[in-house]
Amino acid sequence: MTTTAGTDLKNPAASGAFSRSAAKDDHSEGMSYLESLPRKTVTVYIPLFIIVVVLLFPFYWMFITSIKPDQDLLDLHGGNPLWVSEPTFRHFYKLLFESNYPTWLWNTMFVAVCATFLSIVASVLAAYAITRIRYKGAQTVGGLIFLAYLVPPSILFIPLSTIIHVYGLFDTPFALILTYPTILIPFCTWLLMGYFKTIPYELEECALIDGASRWQILVKIIIPLAIPGLISAFIFAFTLCWNEFIYALTFISSNPNKTVPTAIVSEFVDGDVFRWGSLMAGALVGSLPLVILYAFFVEHYVSAMTGAVKE
Amino acid sequence: MADAAVARTEARPMPGEPSAWQQLKVNRNWLGFWFMVPAMAFLVLFLVYPLGKGLWMSFTDARIGREGRFVGLENFEWLSDDSDFIRALIFTIVFTFVASAVKFAIGLYLALLLNNNLPFKAFVRSVVLIPFIVPTVLSAVAFWWIFDTQFSVITWGLVKMGLIDRGSPINWMGDPFMAQCVVIFANIWRGIPFIAITLLAGLQTVSPSLYEAATLDGATRWQNFRYVTYPLLTPIIAVVMTFSVLFTFTDFQLIWAMTRGGPVNATHLMATLSYQRGILGGNLGEGAAIAISMVPFLLAAIMFSWFGLQRRKWQQGESND
Amino acid sequence: MTAFTRRTLVKGAAAAGVLTGSGLTDWAKAWAQTSPFRPETGATLNLLRWRRFVEAEDAQFNRMVAAFTQATGCRVNVSSESFDDVQPKASVAANTGTGPDLIWSLYSVPHLFPQKCLEVTDVADYLGKKYGGWVPLAEAYGKSAGKWISIPVAVNGGYINYRISMLKAAGFNEVPQDTKGFLELCKALKAKGTPSGFPLGRATGDGNAFAHWLLWSHGAAQVDERENITINSAETRAALRYAKELWDTFIPGTAAWNDSNNNRAFLSGEISLTANGISIYAAARVSQDAKQREIAADMDHAFWPIGPIGKPAEIQLAFPMFGMTYSRFPNACKAFMAFILEAENFNPWLEAAEGYLTHVLNAYDNNPVWTRDPKARVFRESAKRSFPAGYRGPINEKAATAIADFIVVDLFANHCTGKEDVEGAIRLAERQLRRIYR
Repeated sequence: MTTTAGTDLKNPAASGAFSRSAAKDDHSEGMSYLESLPRKTVTVYIPLFIIVVVLLFPFYWMFITSIKPDQDLLDLHGGNPLWVSEPTFRHFYKLLFESNYPTWLWNTMFVAVCATFLSIVASVLAAYAITRIRYKGAQTVGGLIFLAYLVPPSILFIPLSTIIHVYGLFDTPFALILTYPTILIPFCTWLLMGYFKTIPYELEECALIDGASRWQILVKIIIPLAIPGLISAFIFAFTLCWNEFIYALTFISSNPNKTVPTAIVSEFVDGDVFRWGSLMAGALVGSLPLVILYAFFVEHYVSAMTGAVKE
Repeated sequence: MADAAVARTEARPMPGEPSAWQQLKVNRNWLGFWFMVPAMAFLVLFLVYPLGKGLWMSFTDARIGREGRFVGLENFEWLSDDSDFIRALIFTIVFTFVASAVKFAIGLYLALLLNNNLPFKAFVRSVVLIPFIVPTVLSAVAFWWIFDTQFSVITWGLVKMGLIDRGSPINWMGDPFMAQCVVIFANIWRGIPFIAITLLAGLQTVSPSLYEAATLDGATRWQNFRYVTYPLLTPIIAVVMTFSVLFTFTDFQLIWAMTRGGPVNATHLMATLSYQRGILGGNLGEGAAIAISMVPFLLAAIMFSWFGLQRRKWQQGESND
Repeated sequence: MTAFTRRTLVKGAAAAGVLTGSGLTDWAKAWAQTSPFRPETGATLNLLRWRRFVEAEDAQFNRMVAAFTQATGCRVNVSSESFDDVQPKASVAANTGTGPDLIWSLYSVPHLFPQKCLEVTDVADYLGKKYGGWVPLAEAYGKSAGKWISIPVAVNGGYINYRISMLKAAGFNEVPQDTKGFLELCKALKAKGTPSGFPLGRATGDGNAFAHWLLWSHGAAQVDERENITINSAETRAALRYAKELWDTFIPGTAAWNDSNNNRAFLSGEISLTANGISIYAAARVSQDAKQREIAADMDHAFWPIGPIGKPAEIQLAFPMFGMTYSRFPNACKAFMAFILEAENFNPWLEAAEGYLTHVLNAYDNNPVWTRDPKARVFRESAKRSFPAGYRGPINEKAATAIADFIVVDLFANHCTGKEDVEGAIRLAERQLRRIYR
């Protein structure tokens, strides 16, 4: 690799759109001890600060909206819209104690956990079969799984809803628990395939020689080694379930069965009046479990993805 | 398990001797099949019928509540001459291209920044993921408000700074071009965290010793990035960008919650247009035809990002020998 | 309190009796004995309705539901969806043949799938005879091919909302009742820095109201009585030119407005005049914010001005309720529809809606809601002044598609935003109409 870098230096780089910005700040942890603080401020802290501010601004806006009294929401030029002088927790109170919010939160959690769990089980098995058992046509099947993403849900939920009705799942959490895996399995399978490839074959061969069955190998060797990969698949899948809207809107009809995103929209939009405070409070409270989940697992996520790309 | 680990070194299969792998070949296909059953069951039970039905509907004049007659390519002929469809198609492609490119550029930049030794590293990393977490419909509603022509907080800020006049606010969502920019911006906002964090993971696999060696050879920062980091990152870039392109191309929620395709159909993506025509307008056949027309483009987009990015790797390898 | 009441009531009979006035229940029990419509024994209904605009209306509606359950033993589970989301759900239900028994939706939605709607001619005849007959609009919306397929429970009147003081400042005492004078008013309002604003975005209620008024008041229409496309006409051109002039007096951004934007802009004082239901007034009047109550005191409503056609030409948001043919309890569906339109139920409900909803049975003209507050008076006429969707053509699935696809709104939006010239905008609309009306 060193020689690659050396010999290629004379090639005028065909730079991507990112080149200019990326070039300034190319350094990894390995070299960071060479940095002086002022220089690091300019090259790292300031750009990072700007990006984080832009990324968080809408979130801040949601937060400030959710604690503003209703009259401030309409008052455009009276005060500073970015600040609130008399914060109120009425919107949160209303959300938590005067609506079905706790039920919706529970539904969302239940659906997300079950759908994610099912998807991961199916994906682990599939990924293991494709990468390790390498049966005839494994590569083709791997590709076909990917093609599931070619089905655009915006129109195909009509035929899908026919199926939901035929199976008698309409307006039950199972309508979502069983359809979400169709979105989740391809991604999780891909992720885990990458991860399984990093686990040395030798481990498995030995176990086979020792007379272990495939199932034992999977459960006792592969899965424990792939825990970080499972965590990252879990996080990704869980987030998708949490945010899903179309299926949740179409397949669930009664209020106590709804998930957070659809329920919030139908509960806090009164005809032609948006209840901004409650909508935004709902968005925040709805994201809270995920924020906590991420705060705990983001390092695992990163290291899991790290594992997945090392081939 | 400990035995297995110890035994690893000595258990290499000898050449010519049938290894445990080969012995299993007999039932390998069956075994593979059983392991594939759960995943395939989901996809077959819940996707094959809708896809088949959708394909069939696109060749009929089906309406809500009524099976259609077979009309051949009539839906597609009609669409090929439909200016809203053509514009939705072009906008979808531009939307996907611009949003994916910017997401990639900023995502990679952010990943490089996060790869530094930072105070509160874990905290900063999880904070960056927030846009990915907030339910899309609701963040879209927040964006809708941030970019409202009358109530935009951005306009308010610009007025306060004296950059624009209060009497002539920026027509964020009312002007077709501005509205297109706004929805692209919102999509980028939502997509960056996933790309940044995944690329960050990729960056961490690059061994610091490579940089040290390159630096000793006199490589600059840019050369370090271009010839050490980037090539090593290529596989994960290919995968991440493929998924990013896929999810961007089929985006529905964001557009629907922010603009419903307006103003004057300027922000319709194919997904929203197919919903508008098929579900709201009741023309299931036409809606399905729009959805089905997405497939070749989607396939092309995937092929492009997948093979395009893989090819870079291959080209480099070739030029180096 | 309201949220509490609503959820509890929806849950059914047990809680309902406690909260319902016994008067309504007693009457309801008597009604159940004598009514020609009797629910099947053990029937349960699932009703999907649009999400309320006015809180009090919702509470009163649930009181009726509870009384119905008390009297007949038929449970009714009400679920509500934002009014733009009712149609997709109804469409899915019609297509898959399962879902809510009763759907309460907008405009011409039942005409998207007339063959899936329960025939309710007997209910309509019963109510028509008892309550002074249906207004012609109701008949147009309710009937498909000579049969009633839905009961148009009410319409939502949308009229000009304006700020009295701002009008005065611009030199007008009232909203001129002709299109020419109206344009002058809007110009004067803009000159005073208090512009008007009408939505030309995806605003199912207000956007359609504005665009159809522009089209029809100039004597234009998308089709004639025999469904020949007539959009390419001198009248349409005149309407487009007028629209453009009016548009130039608006506050910026209305091409992106949906039904909620004009409420917000009006209540914040950004605009002086718009078109809306009474919901702006109803919300402001009872607001905890003194500023809002001031706005309520300073605002009034007026009819849509009359254009070259020489008569009122408006579209008002109809709310038809229909049963689905797949329902196992068709008689319960019919009984429920008949029940809510009986005077003992309908009068208090109409009052609770504070003018947001207008009756379509002539006998309800005398409801006190129309005389109690003079600012609500114009809304009484909305069912009588409205043309049906798809005018001059019949209401059918084609008309329903045209309105669901925002053909008329886009016709004006295309021209006003400068995207198309007059001919281009007409050409686009004509092309789409040809396909819909093929």
